[in-house]
Amino acid sequence: MSVIAADGVTVRYGKKTAVDGVTLSVAPGSVYALLGRNGAGKSSLVRALLGMLQPARGRVTLFGEDVWQHRARLMDRIGVVSEEADAPPDARVRDLAWLSARMYSRWTQGAFDGRIDRFGISRNARYGDLSKGQKKQVALALALATSPELLVLDDPTLGLDVVARKSLFEEVIADMAERGLTVLITTHDLSAIETLADRIGVIKDGKLVLDDELEALKLRFRRVRYAGAPAALAMTAASSRAWGSGTEAIVTDYDDVAFERFRRETETSESTPMTLEEIFISVAGEEQR
Amino acid sequence: MFDIHPTDASPIWKQIEEGMRRMISLGILEPGAGVPSVRELAQSLRVNPNTVARAYQRLTDEGVLAVRRGEGTFVAEAPKQLRKSEKNEALRDAATRYAGTALAVGATIDDARGELELSYERLVREHRRKA
Repeated sequence: MSVIAADGVTVRYGKKTAVDGVTLSVAPGSVYALLGRNGAGKSSLVRALLGMLQPARGRVTLFGEDVWQHRARLMDRIGVVSEEADAPPDARVRDLAWLSARMYSRWTQGAFDGRIDRFGISRNARYGDLSKGQKKQVALALALATSPELLVLDDPTLGLDVVARKSLFEEVIADMAERGLTVLITTHDLSAIETLADRIGVIKDGKLVLDDELEALKLRFRRVRYAGAPAALAMTAASSRAWGSGTEAIVTDYDDVAFERFRRETETSESTPMTLEEIFISVAGEEQR
Repeated sequence: MFDIHPTDASPIWKQIEEGMRRMISLGILEPGAGVPSVRELAQSLRVNPNTVARAYQRLTDEGVLAVRRGEGTFVAEAPKQLRKSEKNEALRDAATRYAGTALAVGATIDDARGELELSYERLVREHRRKA
């Protein structure tokens, strides 16, 4: 059974459609990375998946139960690190732990203390005095200490330096391995999830335009360059453009045999694998400057 | 243990599988020797544990690794080598790609052979050093 199952979820704000008929499912123990440019509908979708807003159409179930109806009960099984992790600046780290211990039935103080020590944060530190990275680390330690079955990371590395990102992901990897944690992550840090995600979803203008296993994506997306004008490739080209005097095409169903045949017919042709970032750009469009 | 390259076209589980096989064929991991747990290897390579588990599962199915319940994962007592036909096929695939690159950059067959030898030796050295 899926940990998260969204079926035709549509979110509207007045006349504006923020999420448009999204269907996806996240398998137990897997890492699902939801990608999209700013304003694509990522945050609205995450809010709908967590039962924080009611979809205009469609339905979300978490662990098989309707999230909108059973939100309070389900939240006990979910840890969330949101984009703007926030707490009162005067609260001390240990006070936040004290509060969480009272809110979650499966709180484990030892797990919290261990992580906070590994992150090198004092339990007496005022929240307001912590750096951005440390705030995120505290939020992660709080979320993981509730022994969640599902961890939702909403842009967890935004504004963090390389070292802080690394330690954050290491904690997540360790927990995944130990407890078979299921993770839903939204991020702009594509290189970090390149080794971590099992499945990738790309949302664009509210629609889920891509939803596939990462390994499959990396096999089927290729950049193919060849001499001459655009020609029949026997593969689906998502886009093609002039490249020097030849053509560069992004194909979405690369296949060695078809390419080999094509290569024999054209003068020069080459195919190169694409990074997740390049795949993302080819699907979601170039960053506007 | 070995490096993985996230941007490589070859899937990560396959890179792990091949890395393990290299360590075994170089004799760095001997028959019966313990290998890192899925958790340890996932952390040290910084990859998803599912990916490591998948590589280990394949190696176990192929008779290269053996799981002893409660004790961990070990190199099989007589790790299965690839069949000759499988070995040839893998070599031919990789060689075709390499030859393509060599031709594209205008290298002679001697240049290409020389680089291949250097890379082979470097990999052996690196594995020995890391072991």
